[in-house]
Amino acid sequence: MTGKSIALNGIGFPARKEGLRKRRRIGETIIQFLLFFAGSFSIFITLGIVVALGNEALPFFRNPEVNLVDFLTGTKWQPHIGAFGILPLVTSTFITSLIAMLIAIPLGMAAAIYLSEYASMKVRKTLKPILEILAGIPTIVYGYFALMFVTPLLRSIFGNNVVQIYNMASGGLVMGVLILPLIASMSEDALNAVPRSLREAAYGLGATKLEVALKVVVPAALSGIAAAIIVGISRAIGETMIVAVSVGAGPNFTFNPFAGAETMTGHIVRISGGDLSYDSIDYNSIFAIGLMLFFLTLGLNIISQRIVRRFREVYE
Amino acid sequence: MTMKRITPIIGLSVIALLVSACGSAAPAAEPVVTPTRPATEDPLAMYMPDTVSGDIIAAGSSTVFPLSERMKQRFEEEGFTGNITIDSIGSGAGFERFCVDGDTDIANASRAIKDSEVESCRVIGREPLEFRVGTDALAVVVSSENAFVTDVTKTELALIFSTAVNWSDVRPEWPAEPILRFIPGTDSGTFDYFVEAVMAPANPGDDGKANVGKGETAILAAANLQLSEDDNVLVQGVLGSPYAVGFFGFAYYQENAETLNVLSIEGVEPTAETAENGKYPLARPLFIYSAAAILRAKPQVAGFIYFYLTNVNDEILDVGYFPASQEALDAALDAWSDAVGMQP
Repeated sequence: MTGKSIALNGIGFPARKEGLRKRRRIGETIIQFLLFFAGSFSIFITLGIVVALGNEALPFFRNPEVNLVDFLTGTKWQPHIGAFGILPLVTSTFITSLIAMLIAIPLGMAAAIYLSEYASMKVRKTLKPILEILAGIPTIVYGYFALMFVTPLLRSIFGNNVVQIYNMASGGLVMGVLILPLIASMSEDALNAVPRSLREAAYGLGATKLEVALKVVVPAALSGIAAAIIVGISRAIGETMIVAVSVGAGPNFTFNPFAGAETMTGHIVRISGGDLSYDSIDYNSIFAIGLMLFFLTLGLNIISQRIVRRFREVYE
Repeated sequence: MTMKRITPIIGLSVIALLVSACGSAAPAAEPVVTPTRPATEDPLAMYMPDTVSGDIIAAGSSTVFPLSERMKQRFEEEGFTGNITIDSIGSGAGFERFCVDGDTDIANASRAIKDSEVESCRVIGREPLEFRVGTDALAVVVSSENAFVTDVTKTELALIFSTAVNWSDVRPEWPAEPILRFIPGTDSGTFDYFVEAVMAPANPGDDGKANVGKGETAILAAANLQLSEDDNVLVQGVLGSPYAVGFFGFAYYQENAETLNVLSIEGVEPTAETAENGKYPLARPLFIYSAAAILRAKPQVAGFIYFYLTNVNDEILDVGYFPASQEALDAALDAWSDAVGMQP
């Protein structure tokens, strides 16, 4: 998003020189074309993905065994025996994402406020890269961390019979840790972009540091923070390896975070790992799940754009 | 759990390296042995591990996987220098790659090939050739923390893996705790075999005969069900709770024998003896499949299979399975000789 707006400004920039006589420059045109190509490239890729997904998912929805209402409301997903209710996959995706966000939003925000408002230059310079290292750990490592460390920890706290070996809580918690630096880093950028004059005015009126941070800077950066959170949620919904390793390997319609279940992404990984035969309903079903995932994240991104536009506060 | 699997592999490859290093260090003393099998006199010489070259691609059953993996190591220790790839993707998927895509030389299987699969093989010009390599006793296991189950009947087994919610629904004296199920995925031969041997007889169709479709529906409709093609995921799952139960090839039980309990079925414990004489109700054959055309076109595949059949009994108990009968192995060797056009 930020990338796009920068690109637009870049193209719009020469307009300010309108007073000068326009002279056609070949190099300039080529660069403009290349930039346009770069901008539209991602759009074409997205369109391609939609077409490919739709193409493969179509046979699934055309299959007489499948009807859309059952697909969206059924509580059992077992394509092998003709049970096509996507809800168990969707609920576990939401539960793991919810748990992840419960960790990532408060901690990420706190870290961002600390880094932007409280930390000295020196502290920030050391802390921020360390925080970003967290985001650089491969997710498969996080997955085994969840299975081998967090799950036993949860089981020792809540009891072995309460917490199953594969469960949504540990996957969600670790996913929260994964997403934390993303939210912290993006929010910190947003907080940093708030003009210094605003803070100084607030100090001038006698506000404390905490009041400045929470009542002036955070509201001013709200659009950026909201965008960070939505990107975080999209990341959580799409996250695959952590949940594939630690959450479980069977669709389960439950709201108990300590029970094993399977998210949409985890299911796709497991089913496609077995070398499915083409044209089987199992094979087509994973594209239907993919399409569902795509629409979920697309919806979230559209909402995030709305929020960003709505709450944007513009400063000179 | 992957670590557990990787460590011995690293260990073994280090040993293999050392062995091959020793082997290459002493070639001067070796030539004395070579004349015992000159190419002109012994037709088998062209199939020896150190004479064949090229790659071998195998895929299929996760049950047969550890056995094939062991034979691969032995074959390499004997001097084979090509690449052998073995994918553990389930028997059904293995036949899919062997008969439809046609990109593998060998299909590992923990069940016999189906007629439909033979058909698709013929379509791409491959006449599947079956080699019996051993016997598995499918192990039904619980965690060693589970003190209440030691012996079940096949009927109870079908109940445990379908409609029973709590253990007490199977036998009233068992605890009223939910059954947590860990089973191989639907692409695996172990799943197919279990459905056929246990679920289908308990779920007769309208004609009163065992019905595989209904059996499949019954087991897949069970609650608290986790499926994986990776048997280590299942082991981990069963270890996780005293109320968990699962099944897989005997080798995976043997690898984890100190933490898992294996159940007796109909009062018979799975052992080498009961598996071989067929008393254990869930004993089943293990196979590898190839085709005569492949054996003739790729001597390295023929060489590997010959080596496999003649050496499998040295390794099979150690891997965790049981030897096939001598007749079955002899039949497999005859089939091999026929395929490569050699007098047995």
